[in-house]
Amino acid sequence: MFPNKGEWISGQERMPRPGPAEPFTKPADDSGPKAPDVKRPDPSDLLKRMRRVDPDQARRYRQRSGQ
Amino acid sequence: MSNTGVCSGKARVDVSLGGRLFGVETEYGILVEGRDAGDLMEESRLLVSAYPHRWAGPWDYHSEDPRRDMRGFRVDHLNYNKEDARYDAGSTASHLSSQEQRADRALVNGARLYNDHGHPEYATPECRSLRDLVAHDRAGERIVLECARRRAEQTGREVRLFKNNTDFHGMSYGCHEAYLCERAVPFERLFHGMLPFLVTRPLYAGAGKTGVETSGPFAKECRYQLSQRADFFTEEASVDTLARRPIFNTRDEAHADPGRHRRLHVICGDANLSEFATALKVGTTCLVLSLIEAGWEPLFRLKNPVDAIKQVSRDPALRWILELEDGRTMRATDIQRIYLQDAQRLLAGSDADADWTLREWERVLNDLEQDPGRAGDRVDWVAKRRLLDTYIEAEGLRWEDEFLRSLDLEYHNVDPELGLYYALEEAGQMARLVEDAAVVTALRQAPRDTRAAVRGALIQGFAPQIERLSWGRAALRSQPEPRWLYLPVELGDSGDGLLRRVEAATTVEEAVDVLSGEEHVPEQG
Repeated sequence: MFPNKGEWISGQERMPRPGPAEPFTKPADDSGPKAPDVKRPDPSDLLKRMRRVDPDQARRYRQRSGQ
Repeated sequence: MSNTGVCSGKARVDVSLGGRLFGVETEYGILVEGRDAGDLMEESRLLVSAYPHRWAGPWDYHSEDPRRDMRGFRVDHLNYNKEDARYDAGSTASHLSSQEQRADRALVNGARLYNDHGHPEYATPECRSLRDLVAHDRAGERIVLECARRRAEQTGREVRLFKNNTDFHGMSYGCHEAYLCERAVPFERLFHGMLPFLVTRPLYAGAGKTGVETSGPFAKECRYQLSQRADFFTEEASVDTLARRPIFNTRDEAHADPGRHRRLHVICGDANLSEFATALKVGTTCLVLSLIEAGWEPLFRLKNPVDAIKQVSRDPALRWILELEDGRTMRATDIQRIYLQDAQRLLAGSDADADWTLREWERVLNDLEQDPGRAGDRVDWVAKRRLLDTYIEAEGLRWEDEFLRSLDLEYHNVDPELGLYYALEEAGQMARLVEDAAVVTALRQAPRDTRAAVRGALIQGFAPQIERLSWGRAALRSQPEPRWLYLPVELGDSGDGLLRRVEAATTVEEAVDVLSGEEHVPEQG
């Protein structure tokens, strides 16, 4: 089903970016802060982040029934 | 694929996305260090109360009646989750009034923030463009995160928020959509027209989930499914939302003139992190509503919609084959194509959002049919599946491993430093539809072309003088007497004169003068 699985995480292949988002025009007020110009993280950071996830999180996660 | 839908109305439809108000309401999951589910009414209330910026309230519930059914009756009672009810017995918040427990805050960006049954809920302002909706939905993530961080500072306890729809133990909470539509459309046509579409929409709008929480099709063999919510629907149509949930919710609260409008309240969708998925689910739903309003109806019905939504979500082979009432079978992707093709024929060229939706709807269906992995930059369930596949491969895990549920949950964590969706986004793996600047703008500014802008202007200018307010009106403490002001549904384009006059008002009496000429339309019949 996912022939390329794993490739993105080793940085070999980037998912294609979408074409121009035509209906999404510039905001009326464009004076706000811009997207931060940050260095893209090493894709292996994704695996590192996953390894840091609290393994008991889902077991402890109990919610009220909502709508 | 021909003769699968028929339009008894005009050959071409002039309705477009731009003429319709829509919004999204998200109930967030909440995990507080050292607290359990029985404490969440209180924790959610206090989290909402930590909102540090300007707001107005309380909410005016006069126009809301969740027992009123679109089919023309009012139910005696709503169904409640019996297991959940036990939490209320020992709740530390039970001595508070309903108003105090809800802690409603109407924000300067036109949105509503409140405690909904133990979940912080952010309802976007009314929008008319997909771009505005996505920006405001994402602004909601930032607003609740800011509240969580402030609450953590106050208490010293860690607070995590999740934009998802299940606790993996059988409790679900919603991400609802609201669409203003024409009251003149008969209920039966609206219901039968929407149902196959809603059942198959998780194909691209599902947020993905490890495991299965209820019985039904593929319950034993499914390890990962498309939808967070599909497990929890047991009825085709009803007014309920907390238990015995329906695919088609019949709650009749227009939040506008009920003589002209209905509000289609869609409760069967997932909360999306992907901007693309949010835009596409709302864009396609608007187009299907436009088809139905024009007289279009599908010439087929599903044999068992309640089973079908689970079949779409859980089918491990991703074949998505559904039975029709007449004995035929049809792939869920083909059902979506029936709607798509008639929308292309009748709605193409309506406006830029409609054309974007038609183009991306077709592209995502092509991808799902050929190789779902191609949609991994746009569709949440595919993106999450790829993450989990990668981790399973790297760590040698099995799908039964409980850690996968914690990873699943972390995909939805709204803290960008922790959430796995945000990690994908930061790595350039997810399609973005709005710039961060638009999200920042949405934190403080309502869409300029809906009544939300008037609400926001009143809150910005006169929050202390607002006695209470709702989607359609606000009560102001003006002299010589308090006044109800009604917000016009049809505001017009950006720079509307009425809005500019409200924004320019320097006293509450001036604002009252501007708005007092607006027609008084009851929100409830």
